[in-house]
Amino acid sequence: MTQVKTKFINRPENLTAELLEGYTLAYRDKVALGAENIVVRRNPKPADKVAVVTLGGSGHEPALSGFVGEGMLDCSVVGDIFAAPGAQRLFQALQMFKRDAGILLVVLNHSGDVMSAGMACQLAERAGIKVKRIVTHDDISAGVGRPDSERRGLAGCIPLYKIVGAAAEEGKSLDEIVEIGERFNRQIATLAVAMGACTHPQNGALLCDLPEGIMEIGMGQHGEGGGGRQPLVSADDTAQQMLASLLQQVPLVKGDKAMLYINGVGGSTHMELNIVFRKAYRLLTERGIDVVDGRIEEMLTVQGENGFQMILAKLDADHVELLKNRRADAPYWTTIGK
Amino acid sequence: MEELTLDTFRQMLRNALLRIKERQDEFSQLDAVFGDGDHGTAIVAAMNAVVETAEKGADFKTMLNDMGFNVMLQTSGSTSTLLGAFFLGMSDQAEGVSLSVTAVKKMFAGGLNGVCTQTLARKGDKTMMDALIPAVETMAGFRSDEIGDILAAGALAAQQGADRTAGMKAAFGRARNYGERSVGSADPGAKSWACMLSAFAEAVIPRFAKVPSG
Repeated sequence: MTQVKTKFINRPENLTAELLEGYTLAYRDKVALGAENIVVRRNPKPADKVAVVTLGGSGHEPALSGFVGEGMLDCSVVGDIFAAPGAQRLFQALQMFKRDAGILLVVLNHSGDVMSAGMACQLAERAGIKVKRIVTHDDISAGVGRPDSERRGLAGCIPLYKIVGAAAEEGKSLDEIVEIGERFNRQIATLAVAMGACTHPQNGALLCDLPEGIMEIGMGQHGEGGGGRQPLVSADDTAQQMLASLLQQVPLVKGDKAMLYINGVGGSTHMELNIVFRKAYRLLTERGIDVVDGRIEEMLTVQGENGFQMILAKLDADHVELLKNRRADAPYWTTIGK
Repeated sequence: MEELTLDTFRQMLRNALLRIKERQDEFSQLDAVFGDGDHGTAIVAAMNAVVETAEKGADFKTMLNDMGFNVMLQTSGSTSTLLGAFFLGMSDQAEGVSLSVTAVKKMFAGGLNGVCTQTLARKGDKTMMDALIPAVETMAGFRSDEIGDILAAGALAAQQGADRTAGMKAAFGRARNYGERSVGSADPGAKSWACMLSAFAEAVIPRFAKVPSG
């Protein structure tokens, strides 16, 4: 273990507890710690509505707990840095949210998260807790059209939280919410690009250590490779290349409504993200695609990694409504609503 | 033996823990070839939780259910998911305080069914399934009034299945990324499950221990 000399931290083993403490203090009007590593809404949703719960490792702030709040998540169960929370912790959260309306558990497709969710759901079922799962797998770096099991869950989970969260808030049934969410899940794709290196905050290891002038398209969100390394090109050329791949997975045609997000992963400036967005937006509109929802934000980060995730989805009419016109008030996501 | 009692079943579980502990390092070393090298530690921790819970059981159904819960709640990772699912699945198909030959076969079939709900791996994928599936299939088809013989037949099938994994290419887990390079060394999970199933048989018929268990 190398000592981390590039970050403002205290003891490496306390990172998760300390970051959650700070976060829930800063936004104490919106979120609270329901138990150790379990972030919940300050003002809980009525128990006659479906609860939306998610899980995942820390180190990706503001994700995932940043999206706990009215109209989005009811609860996020947090693991250690880049590590899934154990089934025990997740089962504890499911017990806290047990209700007749049921619980929707959103799981990002990473083996540890999937496994904890599998265990916790099995136990929940036996304990009489009604829970259904949506597994997100928006990453297309394994190749367009690859089986869902081979595709990782990247930042595409966040607009999904908004959509299912809004549907739950308006009182839709668990089955209806699963249908809406799975339909969105099939129509979204994400591709990541990274360059340079970033530091694992606990052990000091260099993640995604790319030489200067080289970028990697298809980078996972723990610095694990996946795509192809190539010489760094301009923002426009990068955007064009990534969008072309995304459009193979999400076949948008003239007149379709689309969502385009650029998620900064920690090191790249908003200046760069804006420039990339502009090119992708222009390319979509040139094809007659209507980008009805855009966002340039750091939502799910990878420490100080340079790069971004480009997220593209085809939106059905109900998705547009839930995403854009329903109120949400989480620390890192606000929609005023209509 | 025509009836499996709770006490004998507990004896089987204790013996499994003992035998797995003896071979803990071997399982970890096998796992270190293509995985993270913790399988020995993981299976011992999981079996500890199993045995500890079993000591308090009063009937098959609740005891197996509690064993499954505690494995999953006290330990984490794929080893405990699968072992937990095995006992939960057994719980679904067992009741009472002693089991007939048919009921024993049914309980093990339930265990396999439980594992099948937690993994997509099947025979030939170089996982613990290569030990468990042949074991349960053999037990189901083995005609005898002796529960010990049925367990022994299952154990032998498990051992042979586990040995066959050495020649297989991994299709699941981290080892999958190694593709062809994964051929040549046996799967640690298949080996540890075969060890568990062999220890079950050995607890009932001690002579079974003399069968070489690779």
